[in-house]
Amino acid sequence: MKRITPIAIFLIVLIAAGGSFVYFLEVPGGASTQVSASYNSTALIVLYANAQGWNYNSSHPNPTIYEKTHVLLEFKVIEQDNLPHTLTINPGPNESASSAIISVDIPAVTGTVVWANWSFSNSGVYTYWCEVHPETMVGLLIINSSQNSSVSANNSSADAPSAAGINCNCTFPISLEEQMLNGIHEEI
Amino acid sequence: MSFPFELAVFGSAIAVIIIMGFLLYYFAVDYRKHLIGDSYSTMSKQEANTFLSKMRRELSLSVFMMDDSKSIGIRYLLTSLAFFFIAGLAGIGMRISLWYPNPTFLTPVQYNILLTEHGTLMLYGWALGSLLGLGYYLLPSSLNIRKDSLGIVSSVMYWFFAIGGLFLIFSKSTASWYFYYPLTDQLTEAGGGSFSFVALIGVMLIVIATVVASIIFLKMIFIDRDKSIRLSNLSLFSWSMVSAAFLIIGSAPVSVVADGYLIYDLVNPVFFQGSNGTALGYAIMFWFWGHPLVYVAVIPAFGLIYELLPRFTGTKVFSYRSGVFSLLLLMVLSGTVWGHHLFNSGLGTVWDLIFSSTSFLVAIPSAISVFNWIATIWVGRPKMSVPMLFVINGIIDFVIGGVVGVMVADVGVNELVHGTYAITAHFHFIFLGLTTGIAFAAIYTLFSTFTAGRKYNVPMGKAHFYLTAIGTWVMSGFWLVGGFAGMPRRVAGYFGIFQTYQDAAAIGGVILGIGQLIFLINFVYSAYKPVETTNENILEAEAVS
Repeated sequence: MKRITPIAIFLIVLIAAGGSFVYFLEVPGGASTQVSASYNSTALIVLYANAQGWNYNSSHPNPTIYEKTHVLLEFKVIEQDNLPHTLTINPGPNESASSAIISVDIPAVTGTVVWANWSFSNSGVYTYWCEVHPETMVGLLIINSSQNSSVSANNSSADAPSAAGINCNCTFPISLEEQMLNGIHEEI
Repeated sequence: MSFPFELAVFGSAIAVIIIMGFLLYYFAVDYRKHLIGDSYSTMSKQEANTFLSKMRRELSLSVFMMDDSKSIGIRYLLTSLAFFFIAGLAGIGMRISLWYPNPTFLTPVQYNILLTEHGTLMLYGWALGSLLGLGYYLLPSSLNIRKDSLGIVSSVMYWFFAIGGLFLIFSKSTASWYFYYPLTDQLTEAGGGSFSFVALIGVMLIVIATVVASIIFLKMIFIDRDKSIRLSNLSLFSWSMVSAAFLIIGSAPVSVVADGYLIYDLVNPVFFQGSNGTALGYAIMFWFWGHPLVYVAVIPAFGLIYELLPRFTGTKVFSYRSGVFSLLLLMVLSGTVWGHHLFNSGLGTVWDLIFSSTSFLVAIPSAISVFNWIATIWVGRPKMSVPMLFVINGIIDFVIGGVVGVMVADVGVNELVHGTYAITAHFHFIFLGLTTGIAFAAIYTLFSTFTAGRKYNVPMGKAHFYLTAIGTWVMSGFWLVGGFAGMPRRVAGYFGIFQTYQDAAAIGGVILGIGQLIFLINFVYSAYKPVETTNENILEAEAVS
């Protein structure tokens, strides 16, 4: 037996195992180094995957969603139009699949329900959109700090992210009841 | 979606591998000449192959250019070892991610990919691969075969196996190892993975390779063996290969057909759609092969225990005939138990009871073998070398896993523990203790042959054994307790009450992983030692009679 043989086998096996492991973890949306934050409560958000908009049959087809940090947001996405969609969430008002926090494929079969859960640790403006329909299926997700919003309704808007440019007819911060009136929660 | 680019890279890589293989065959230096010596020029290719397949052959990368049975065996062993480490690292990744109830570093999709790769590569790559490797390596010398033909077929089938394994790795399927219908054909990350059909092709390639290799084993045993060896004194390892080969040939084609249907259903869903076939139809076709597959993975290990025990206890097998009887009865009975995977799927009470009864019956041949081994150890003088430690641990693990298996074969108990870690513990006890442990026992026994006359480092071998055994016990033991408490398997997170079991299992898994690294290092270490002994080994020597 040549001395190189077991060493070659050793190296090949280690490189194959390590390389495969790295390869397995390279998943769209799964390779993100961000980890969902801890949470104390949950909130259900129902979205419809339809090329006309995430909430296509209301007056606000792409509603702005207001939520808090350290709340587990449970996105329930219901396929509506037999077209392929994704639910992608980006930090900031931008649409680039490479910097996505979440990217979930929604199978193109009407009625299919896909769940995506995420809890934000930082407040700020986020974008939720569909990689297939970036023009029509895009909305803003505004995350407030949960500490401020729990104090009172008067002084907490100072810490809120800039809402400039967002066409929003509601006030900051917003209670769960108001959100439900606002449209996005009413289908629950 | 980067579908066309990945497919192009993937396809061209496979094409380059195939072209390189052909080039190597036709233009590379002929290593046979080096091994056989001067008389090579007077031999035909088949005579040379027959001569080579009975030599004591060492590990060498030149086996990829030869097609005698021993070379094919070494190819399968090396490849399956690589698959074992790839799948093992995936398993350790899952364990570490499950340290906290919220996954620490794996998203659910990543967890599902690791789960699928661990399952498919361990079963199709390691269990089947090491079985084929040991069969190709040991059968020619134990049968003293008269001619070693069909080398090209074996070689092509090896490449089917290797490329099938690569397909499994590259597919990144999330459909788990059984590829159930509606999930597998949803080519999305949320479904079976964007390339899950590639995994199906990989499984088909591996299963075809296994079937053809089984036919070649049967040909070696029944047609090509030396005329002086009668069936009544065939080695028990050969009998176990007969049993496994018939089991494979009888059930595996069904799975290939089912996988073909699945791939067709991607284009035109007719076979397993609710209106025409049923989704349960795929599950039935799969488990018709899926359960024999796990017996195929343990029956050769039974045969190897029957071969190893007499050599390490210095006595004959306690009862040769009951050994043959148990191996052949296992072949018959284990083809009839597959329905116990579908107790909760609505086969109906009568079918559930039939499959439950046959599953209980399988305990009979297994127990015959276990008592046969105990009796052999009892009358002999066991010598506690590293392979013998693996054998004894394998028997103990098999008894624990087997008893749990009989428990969960009860329809009522199955209702409770279905889909919990109790099942995972059941088959990890058997696969780690028996399939993997006995494969390691065989490799340690063949160590001086593989390394051309060097001995393995005994402290390192014992460290490998103890870490493997303790890791298996800690990991599977805590799974078993947690499983009976209701801990669900195949999920990326869990409820906080199960954290004790999961953390203990994670520690066990890491211990297990360190142990296997020591095994690899032992091979590297041996290369720096001088030749101390001959390249003979007791497994290929004449049996104790």
